[in-house]
Amino acid sequence: MSEIGKEIQHKARELLEAGQVDCVIGYEASPRGGARPAFVYEPDDTDRLIWNGACVHNLVIYLHDKKKPRKRGEEPPRVGIVVKPCDSRAINVLLAEKQIERERIYVIGVACDGMEDGTGEPPARCARCGDRMPVVYDVLLGEPPEVAPVEEDYADLARVEDLPPAERLAFWLREFDRCIRCYACRQVCPGCYCTTCMFERDDGLWVDMGIELPQKHVFHLGRALHLAGRCVECDECERVCPMELPLSLLNRRLVREVEALYDHRAGREETLTPLLFELGEEGSPL
Amino acid sequence: MKFTTPDDLRAWLDRLAQEMDLVAPRDVDGHVLYRPVTSSDEILFDYERPELSAKDYLLPATEILLRIEKQGHRPIGADAPMGNEVTQEEVLPERKQVIFGLRPCDAHGFAAIDALFLEQDPSDRYYRHHRERTVLVGLACPQMWEGCFCTSVGGAPDDAAHLDVLLRAADEGYAVEAVTEKGTTLLKGLKTEERKGDPPPSAADAELVEMADPARWRQLFEDELWVRHGERCLSCRICTYVCPACRCFDVTDRVVSEQGGVTRIERIRAWDACTSTNYRRAAGGHNSRPTKPGRIRNRFFCKFCYYPEDFGALGCVGCGRCIVSCPVDIDITEVMRDVAAR
Repeated sequence: MSEIGKEIQHKARELLEAGQVDCVIGYEASPRGGARPAFVYEPDDTDRLIWNGACVHNLVIYLHDKKKPRKRGEEPPRVGIVVKPCDSRAINVLLAEKQIERERIYVIGVACDGMEDGTGEPPARCARCGDRMPVVYDVLLGEPPEVAPVEEDYADLARVEDLPPAERLAFWLREFDRCIRCYACRQVCPGCYCTTCMFERDDGLWVDMGIELPQKHVFHLGRALHLAGRCVECDECERVCPMELPLSLLNRRLVREVEALYDHRAGREETLTPLLFELGEEGSPL
Repeated sequence: MKFTTPDDLRAWLDRLAQEMDLVAPRDVDGHVLYRPVTSSDEILFDYERPELSAKDYLLPATEILLRIEKQGHRPIGADAPMGNEVTQEEVLPERKQVIFGLRPCDAHGFAAIDALFLEQDPSDRYYRHHRERTVLVGLACPQMWEGCFCTSVGGAPDDAAHLDVLLRAADEGYAVEAVTEKGTTLLKGLKTEERKGDPPPSAADAELVEMADPARWRQLFEDELWVRHGERCLSCRICTYVCPACRCFDVTDRVVSEQGGVTRIERIRAWDACTSTNYRRAAGGHNSRPTKPGRIRNRFFCKFCYYPEDFGALGCVGCGRCIVSCPVDIDITEVMRDVAAR
């Protein structure tokens, strides 16, 4: 058991014993190897919790399940949650969007120098990421690692952007064609929490339930646009895609655009995306 | 055994591709998928388990059931006779279809769907149509792959049971077995020779997963294990869409065009998934299965309790795809073991 794993167990036990939280969301070992999300309700159950390079999942998505009380008339549960720096940015977005209450969550932040599950290359998102410290936490575990700052690298994006429009469209249609419309990208995203997604409405005017190229095309562009200025670049959508669509290219295109126009990077602070709400003296910079 | 060489097999497949719709395992941008092919050059002969099942070719992810054309327009409340011309047309592909390189578990999946769509009265006319126009040519798995547990649910990596033809790799060629009459007919064009001996059996050495009977499952409906397995579910649709035996669909009418007083409408059906949040949402907004543990419980009960009880077949063929593709490691064999051990 890693030192941080022990500290997570200790903190979780302390929080549950004190009644400070009703549940701690962290990671447990998967019987098949690796790690998976875990929900711990009892102090004696906290020894299930682990920490290692396979803890890739962004657990903030599960806070949406904890917004409602378990029983009518009760208070919503208070939750402890383990977050990496990338995950923590999603907490800021959800706080700004009034989706969660700060006093109901206890954030166990973990300093991070990139995930590595021992099966090969570290995830691309970690290679790109220079954030070592969570942006929001109640307790910080681990020492901020000494790592040289990472240069912003949009080279992969530039390769697609440099294609002539017809080839660029062909590139994306070829990718979208593999999509099976399983919605895993949407379901794993902390920022996708509409009760009924506009792409799944029975009376949707733009897109019907068919699992065909036009619907998939519209869905992916719409999904990316709805996250403009809100995507925290945790890249979970790309990780969970069973067909390996390069969704981070779409997201980061918009990240770069919003940063250039508004100097805003989602989740760094507890602020709303300016894209929909900010009109300057001269109107929107768009 | 009947034996054919790789060259003769290719020549036969190339002819089939001319005469009918041929579907076979292909490399699609690094993913092994069953896809339409026009030549044997596009086909993979050495592959593991295609990442998606082949059910799309008998129960398409999206299928047009009817093309509807409506002429004229009747104002609401008008007493005048309709004056509307409504025509409906059913368009189903007539060509024969061959699925080549089908893994035995995927054929087993069709047998599971048959139990409801073919063997109940009435049968599903669209599924029946595709089933009748299709010949299943299997290629045995030499071994079991990551997550595979077909031998625990009545299958085997070289099981011929639900195929029309089974091929097995042998002696730098293939042993050919006609399983059904349909298969015998299709094989008439394939050059084969008699050889002594049998093809080597596939390695079926995966640990068996213990199965509980439906009655045992029913006793565990309220068990806490559904929260434990279901709480981390993302409510996506991966497990149901990669599954060879999941068969839920939804139906809708979509307007394709409105021009010159003529409205063209398509009635489609498309795959649906019991794991998704809104699967059970009814008119008025009520959702009778609103939680993740409840939906996960239903998925597994369907496979091991309801479907066997109602239609006499398991809803799982042990292909293991849902296990390897779940982003949060919900493992059907772990659930089966937990139920059996309770």
